[in-house]
Amino acid sequence: MAATRAGPRAREIFTSLEYGPVPESHACALAWLDTQDRCLGHYVNGKWLKPEHRNSVPCQDPITGENLASCLQAQAEDVAAAVEAARMAFKGWSAHPGVVRAQHLTRLAEVIQKHQRLLWTLESLVTGRAVREVRDGDVQLAQQLLHYHAIQASTQEEALAGWEPMGVIGLILPPTFSFLEMMWRICPALAVGCTVVALVPPASPAPLLLAQLAGELGPFPGILNVLSGPASLVPILASQPGIRKVAFCGAPEEGRALRRSLAGECAELGLALGTESLLLLTDTADVDSAVEGVVDAAWSDRGPGGLRLLIQESVWDEAMRRLQERMGRLRSGRGLDGAVDMGARGAAACDLVQRFVREAQSQGAQAGDVPSERPFYPPTLVSNLPPASPCAQVEVPWPVVVASPFRTAKEALLVANGTPRGGSASVWSERLGQALELGYGLQVGTVWINAHGLRDPSVPTGGCKESGCSWHGGPDGLYEYLRPSGTPARLSCLSKNLNYDTFGLAVPSTLPAGPEIGPSPAPPYGLFVGGRFQAPGARSSRPIRDSSGNLHGYVAEGGAKDIRGAVEAAHQAFPGWAGQSPGARAALLWALAAALERRKSTLASRLERQGAELKAAEAEVELSARRLRAWGARVQAQGHTLQVAGLRGPVLRLREPLGVLAVVCPDEWPLLAFVSLLAPALAYGNTVVMVPSAACPLLALEVCQDMATVFPAGLANVVTGDRDHLTRCLALHQDVQAMWYFGSAQGSQFVEWASAGNLKPVWASRGCPRAWDQEAEGAGPELGLRVARTKALWLPMGD
Amino acid sequence: MSAHNRGTELDLSWISKIQVNHPAVLRRAEQIQARRTVKKEWQAAWLLKAVTFIDLTTLSGDDTSSNIQRLCYKAKYPIREDLLKALNMHDKGITTAAVCVYPARVCDAVKALKAAGCNIPVASVAAGFPAGQTHLKTRLEEIRLAVEDGATEIDVVINRSLVLTGQWEALYDEIRQFRKACGEAHLKTILATGELGTLTNVYKASMIAMMADFIKTSTGKETVNATFPVAIVMLRAIRDFFWKTGNKIGFKPAGGIRSAKDSLAWLSLVKEELGDEWLKPELFRIGASTLLSDIERQIYHHVTGRYAAYHDLPMS
Repeated sequence: MAATRAGPRAREIFTSLEYGPVPESHACALAWLDTQDRCLGHYVNGKWLKPEHRNSVPCQDPITGENLASCLQAQAEDVAAAVEAARMAFKGWSAHPGVVRAQHLTRLAEVIQKHQRLLWTLESLVTGRAVREVRDGDVQLAQQLLHYHAIQASTQEEALAGWEPMGVIGLILPPTFSFLEMMWRICPALAVGCTVVALVPPASPAPLLLAQLAGELGPFPGILNVLSGPASLVPILASQPGIRKVAFCGAPEEGRALRRSLAGECAELGLALGTESLLLLTDTADVDSAVEGVVDAAWSDRGPGGLRLLIQESVWDEAMRRLQERMGRLRSGRGLDGAVDMGARGAAACDLVQRFVREAQSQGAQAGDVPSERPFYPPTLVSNLPPASPCAQVEVPWPVVVASPFRTAKEALLVANGTPRGGSASVWSERLGQALELGYGLQVGTVWINAHGLRDPSVPTGGCKESGCSWHGGPDGLYEYLRPSGTPARLSCLSKNLNYDTFGLAVPSTLPAGPEIGPSPAPPYGLFVGGRFQAPGARSSRPIRDSSGNLHGYVAEGGAKDIRGAVEAAHQAFPGWAGQSPGARAALLWALAAALERRKSTLASRLERQGAELKAAEAEVELSARRLRAWGARVQAQGHTLQVAGLRGPVLRLREPLGVLAVVCPDEWPLLAFVSLLAPALAYGNTVVMVPSAACPLLALEVCQDMATVFPAGLANVVTGDRDHLTRCLALHQDVQAMWYFGSAQGSQFVEWASAGNLKPVWASRGCPRAWDQEAEGAGPELGLRVARTKALWLPMGD
Repeated sequence: MSAHNRGTELDLSWISKIQVNHPAVLRRAEQIQARRTVKKEWQAAWLLKAVTFIDLTTLSGDDTSSNIQRLCYKAKYPIREDLLKALNMHDKGITTAAVCVYPARVCDAVKALKAAGCNIPVASVAAGFPAGQTHLKTRLEEIRLAVEDGATEIDVVINRSLVLTGQWEALYDEIRQFRKACGEAHLKTILATGELGTLTNVYKASMIAMMADFIKTSTGKETVNATFPVAIVMLRAIRDFFWKTGNKIGFKPAGGIRSAKDSLAWLSLVKEELGDEWLKPELFRIGASTLLSDIERQIYHHVTGRYAAYHDLPMS
């Protein structure tokens, strides 16, 4: 018999049957750090960048506190160098055919496959996340993402004709994140031809390793550049002139601040904020499986954040008992252990959750003991948190689950939608009808039915409301980094001396300007709100002049109260309108088109009065009617089904209305632009509050006469008045879900700044005119994209 | 085994509202294998523990007294003595939990075990095993005869047609009669889960059978045998039953468990879903025939650091 290798403990273990350590060797991660002499710089233009005289931050093992390496912190000049490298690389990268980019992405996937052990041990070692989740989840998904987007790149010329890559993308990642978050964003960006500068928080080596793997592939060194640096670099990166879009992923408050500081700047902004998720447990659910859903969401190192758990009252006791039972069996431990459920996430995450739990307890919640032991934080279940307490409003941190009861499905929707967050949610119910009702009713970006946290490269993932409206994955992820070809480059419209506090605050007073000499009959006077013409709150009017300077007529001077009323009316009309079938909506748009044609001579003569040729005026009316019909027809085909690898059952990509959409119409094309904006908005089920052309609002008011007879009340509301003032009121309105602004550069800047309030998606023209009579600009796919939001609805099947 | 489950009155409300979501259970089954594992000494100790859960089984048409005798000897000495010594476990009295044979071979097994000088129980399959498609009268008679021959554990199969047609009361009555026919012997009810159609049926059948006694996944003769999704549903039913009545019901997966690695996954599955209290032979069995030799092979490797040749380990 050979020398025995058995230790003395077998007897004890035989009796206790406890789990032992299952350590995963991280020797290769350390060896890789050694190749960098334990000093990590930045990876720029295919080379390591290790500038002199930089501060460095230690990269530590979150569990032992052992120093693994020191990380140099970037400074402004490093950022500039990286952006320059990406800009140079963009020229070549975007000029290559999609097939070439596809091959490159595929090669990167292969490289990751070959070096996956290094990647997963390094990631788990540094972040403290359970290695199982990184190895079996993230690394595999990273490769799938590359393969999926390689396919998208190879078909780009046909499938995405009419779109071109934006340029250099600045990607900003939060302090605790998985490298996968970076992959979700760089894959679509690189696939469509953009190049990327990623700013990662200090001490995150996995993105640097990825950049190195990509850079060492050869031909396109500068397409992926990774800098590590403090949060103070975020505005510096975002305002680099070469950056065309900033994709920000992080905390809601930081996103809001960035939205404000980027108002009027050159770069577009895509926000993905917050980490909280939601789980709805109904009384028809398989409760045990739903409990596993809770584990997947908050207690398995898969999801990044905490969970809000809504449990139907009739199964509350049963669910809580099972949750507690399950919690007791979860294991926390070193991330590099093959048998733990939850790793550690560092001191900052522990502090955050500790504060949250203490505060919740002080407000009356039950949450068990607050552990003082570091670095691990156990799974925590908070219940009885009074709904009105301050703690119930804030985002739930990892690894907390806040449970609260509901009585009916209807109430569940009210509670679930009663937060500013709109990330992801799951619905647990064995009744198909109920599950779908809840799935459709939830205001979130992703809904899983009887599952939680499933992801796939082909399914768009994103959010709505204050979770930000940027998307990754699927077709939506690609459009994030594309812009319609041929549109002028987005320029900075920053006006340093724009005073946000006073912009549009006061309405210049208007005086009587003489008698009206308009054609008779004059259009009805008033604001078109709630389906009828109403006198403005201010009880004053503004004169409208024709092209020769004569007084054309008076229109009502709308103000803040009128906007409030209009938004209210639009909200009242919204559920009914959004619930209509696309066919019914199309029928009403067609009816409006017919009415416009009947009114053609009046409309044309008014346009003539504004200086248009008769022929052109008639053409504008005809084109307007055509637009209405075209959008009515187009909306018949919205949303489609996706098929996901490894999942039986469909994933529905729904296109849902945004809600109440505020539209400030351009001055030019007073009829056509108004209709071109109105038609898609209504076609997709939104209700609108519109500010018509300031120069000639009368045409819009003419259309209102037809809308009054054709449409249900409140569907479209038209408020005339001072453009800046109305813009201010709409942009600052918290219950307007999206805003389109076609007007001055200053107004655009203000709208972008003000949208930070409820993070509504905005589309501002920044003073650039648009060719509304051209199909691409007046009725192109860009409108179709912006007019609705995506929801992914996962429907796993099986009996 | 512990005292008999005295049984519970039939209560159909326990199964009326139950919902089992198939895809979600499949996901859980996948996860559980990836999330728990044991290595080194833990693995060795767990494997030895697994040995004590095995119902060492032979259910072949060509069973004769000679191979039954060999099986019984292996049940008594499942792991080579020197290996146990190396692990300092030779004095733990490690044997398999039982031997499991056809009714006609019970006498052989009882005799062989007596000759080997040990009190390992003999389990007999009965009640029209494996299809259960014989008359109730003969099924009951089969049980009585097996008990008379000295079997102290009886593995019966349920009548699947009663489940598929939703005759829960009839199913309950049948199992109660089996229970009664067993007398002092322990009853394990085989649900033949591969033939029940849905996981919801598995849960319901488990609940009904537990109102009688110990539950077992399958006969080993169906096309689908012991799988993790089925086990998860049965274990959840056992836990629910325990919460409702305070009675701990035993669980026996059988069929298709061949590798040492599988057996570890089964142990951790029971540990995760029910807890350590269930990890004893009174409440957990693994029905297997070839599993034992793979476990012995792994122990050999753990002790010696070498992989064993076929002839290094005694056959069963």
